[in-house]
Amino acid sequence: MLQLTYIIPLVTGIIVFSLPVKPGRLILLATAVVHAVITAMEWFHLTAPLESSYFSTTPEGMLVLAILSFLFLCISVYTIFYMAETEMSKEPVFNGCMLLFLAAMSMVTIADHLIMLWVAIEATTLMSAPLIFVHGSRESLEATWKYILICSVGIALALLGCFFIIFSMEMGGIHVPITFSSLNTVADQLNPIWLKAGFIFIVIGYGTKMGLAPMHTWLPDAHSEAPSPASALLSGALLNCAFLGVYRCHLLMVESGMGDYSSNALIAFGLASMVVSAVFILNQNDYKRMLAYSSIENMGIIVVGIGIGGLAAFGAMLHMIHHSLVKSSLFLSAGNIFLGYGTKSISRTGGMLKLLPKTGVTFFAGFAGISGFPPFGLFISELLIILGAIQAGRHVTVSLFIFCLILIFAGASRLVMQMVLGDRPEEKTLIPEKWMRALPPIILLLSSLALVIWLPDSIYQTIQQAISSIGGTLNG
Amino acid sequence: MNFTFSFSSLLSLSTAFALAPLFMGVIVKVKAFFGGKQGPPLLIKYYTLLKLLKKGSVYSSSTSFVFQLGPIISFVTAVMLLLFFPFAGLQPVLSFHGDVVMLFYLLGLGRFFSVLAALDTASPFEGMGAAREVFFSALAEATIFIILALFFRLSGSLSFAEYFTGTQVLTLWSESAALIFLVLIALFIVLLTENCRVPADDPATHLELTMIHEVMILDHSGPDLAIIEMGAFCKMLFYSAFISCLLFPFHSGTPVFNAIVFTIIMTLVYAAIGLVESITARYKMDMVPNFILTSFALVFFAIILTMEFVQ
Amino acid sequence: MIHISNILLAMILLSVLLSLRTNRLMALVKLMAFQGVVVSAVPLFQTTAHGINVNLILFFILLVLVKGLFIPGLLFIAVKRVVSNREIEPIIGYHASLFAGLIMIVFSVYVTNHLHLANLASSHKLLLVSAITTMGAGLILLMARRKAITQVIGYLVMENGIYLIGTALAKEVHTQYVVEFAVLLDLLVAVLVMGIVLNDINHTFDDVDTALMGQLKD
Repeated sequence: MLQLTYIIPLVTGIIVFSLPVKPGRLILLATAVVHAVITAMEWFHLTAPLESSYFSTTPEGMLVLAILSFLFLCISVYTIFYMAETEMSKEPVFNGCMLLFLAAMSMVTIADHLIMLWVAIEATTLMSAPLIFVHGSRESLEATWKYILICSVGIALALLGCFFIIFSMEMGGIHVPITFSSLNTVADQLNPIWLKAGFIFIVIGYGTKMGLAPMHTWLPDAHSEAPSPASALLSGALLNCAFLGVYRCHLLMVESGMGDYSSNALIAFGLASMVVSAVFILNQNDYKRMLAYSSIENMGIIVVGIGIGGLAAFGAMLHMIHHSLVKSSLFLSAGNIFLGYGTKSISRTGGMLKLLPKTGVTFFAGFAGISGFPPFGLFISELLIILGAIQAGRHVTVSLFIFCLILIFAGASRLVMQMVLGDRPEEKTLIPEKWMRALPPIILLLSSLALVIWLPDSIYQTIQQAISSIGGTLNG
Repeated sequence: MNFTFSFSSLLSLSTAFALAPLFMGVIVKVKAFFGGKQGPPLLIKYYTLLKLLKKGSVYSSSTSFVFQLGPIISFVTAVMLLLFFPFAGLQPVLSFHGDVVMLFYLLGLGRFFSVLAALDTASPFEGMGAAREVFFSALAEATIFIILALFFRLSGSLSFAEYFTGTQVLTLWSESAALIFLVLIALFIVLLTENCRVPADDPATHLELTMIHEVMILDHSGPDLAIIEMGAFCKMLFYSAFISCLLFPFHSGTPVFNAIVFTIIMTLVYAAIGLVESITARYKMDMVPNFILTSFALVFFAIILTMEFVQ
Repeated sequence: MIHISNILLAMILLSVLLSLRTNRLMALVKLMAFQGVVVSAVPLFQTTAHGINVNLILFFILLVLVKGLFIPGLLFIAVKRVVSNREIEPIIGYHASLFAGLIMIVFSVYVTNHLHLANLASSHKLLLVSAITTMGAGLILLMARRKAITQVIGYLVMENGIYLIGTALAKEVHTQYVVEFAVLLDLLVAVLVMGIVLNDINHTFDDVDTALMGQLKD
């Protein structure tokens, strides 16, 4: 049953390529709804459990799948109305690739086989590349080329890592299926040296995809040049999928008793990402690039949280959920801003509250959310990570962590203030905003708020299960 | 030093010497075939040699005795090469430990004197050709000596006779196939370079500016030119026989059978040269070092691998 | 004929070296086809211990079709349609690339020796050496050439190297044809997508020189 989450988008995606625009949009929406329904049924255990040698359901996978499904639903509504304004000539290609992209990402969330996971992650790269260069502008082509090449090479290294892990199994003299679930059960018999080597290569490989510094160079380009719905999907859903790959390997390392090693590696990569994004966000003049660097920062926060473990691991999972919701809302708002002003340059926007009041409010609220202001969930998750770090006695980490947060907040708030409240010489917009385009970002923001006020027990339990093996808990 | 004046050794040597021009005819024929032409007869090179021998030599008044010495020494060194070479797995006439090193320096000696003869004419073209010849063969020498080092590691010997006679021979069909394969390709590149074949040099070119070897011997005529040509045939025969020995699949068999198989392989090697000449164009002069260095890189690969696998 | 696999590996090393020094795009594409065929033949001769079964042969044919025919074919079309100047423009010269290749093989022998793989057969050692060299050469091609299409080829060479490492270390993968097939499909689609992007780049920039693409930076 769960396989349908990637089979249906795969089929409809291929169909949409050959259809005219209008039915294509309908199918996009219909598939999003069906996907959400299947995910919900799976989430509430209404279907038979997954029986396959390549796929299985894991709590962390289900978490990512649920986020993905919800985001895709909101984004597909937005896409339809966004595309109606832009008159893009290649819209069927865009819609088709959106669906194929969804299929690849769904596959990542349920993949259990080492190499199948790799195949799915590589497929996400390939399916999302057309989304970026669909404009066909020089910049978007450059961004696509960087994206596809850097990610492909990075992910090829991850394949090497997979081979190393399989070899560590052979060195250990054990023969089990090459799936994470069965490897976890025999983790202590794996050859530690090769497992370590495999882990490093996988972190480099999937970390490239996730945007961890110093392999992040493609990310600001790709996320800023893609059309906004695609950026929202890349930032909100794809990065989580790559994170899932890293996290699965981290679990394996923890099971085999080398959790310290992998934790330190993750914290190092995470802090590096935070520092890099803090440096580059200060002098940014492109609001989508600013959001992209913020994604790098948040991915850094998540892996730092996972690396620290305990309370912080819970925070990291929570952070992943809220970051997806808020960041994709921000990118959708950015799309509205782009339609309104026709530019991505911060210095040529301004006075948003007067010109685009709805977008102005969502963008500002989203910014408040992403910088960790109290009503939004990122406040809680960052707080949990900081508390967890202090509990674990990692004082250097926590001070660097807080320093980067402050720096990023200071840098970004200046830019956002200018966009929302600043002056703009000419008092008109290209395309006025519409409710249907403003609604999805609002829904995403509201759902983030709702999860703060009331975290459903099923989500709470799932997070607990996902992080239980790395010693993560909220009651720590 | 071993002298082997057995009948078979002397016979194989003289046969090789006699057949050297015939094999060159094979190249001409193959090239003609690929050009869609009938081409000159297979014995063309014999006719050429006879024609040249019948003529008299012309010496410029500005040249010295060095000019006349050049062809003779290069011919003699080339013939000496054949003395050491075990054709078809038979004992060569001469062999001693370390003869491979001497062999390649004999080649160097011949080249040195033909270069001197070229410089003696004081023609700018010949000086240019000499400079190129020396440059390219110096590069090729690096490959050759790495090959020798590799063979030393494989067989523990420095003598041609021990490489290719007896029971433990170096061939493509043995344990170290991967290494020999790389050596074969490298040797083929060296063969093309050292014997001035396409794509390193074009023996049939018309313009002195683009020549390497041919431009050096422009001033030689008559019998002098004939022995230079014959020396070149011997050198070519030597390299081709070297490659054929590495390809030679069996070393048991009766001598006659071996000789026949060996001749067939030799013919194939010459045909391969003709094939390469037909399907490739000559490299730009600045790409030739690149071509030769590839051969060096190949044998370098091979020797790195031996460091590891043949202890 | 027990040494066929060694000869195959020597052929791979040969193709790697030639691809580092060649200055013609078409020659590079042909080398890729040659390398693809040889690389896909390697597992066939590595698993003789387990015996050759029908599945293995079928998969070999599929591999040869994809790596030796489809992918080089796509590259061939791309070169024909897209590239007007067929000469490879190196950032790092041919001699230096060749030299880098030599360093690469020294490095890979060193690595292979220091892994202390007791249970690895000596033939697998050579396999590992050629695999690491191939991977490294792919990286060199990727970084040291300016044309976008040579970067694709560099990626493919690297992928071949990784596949060989898989053959040496993780033999188990090669018996799971579903997984193998999925990886192969990914590779094919990757080349396809890269080809499409290349085509668009050529339309927009009138060239596939990556030096023209440098507008996005901070």
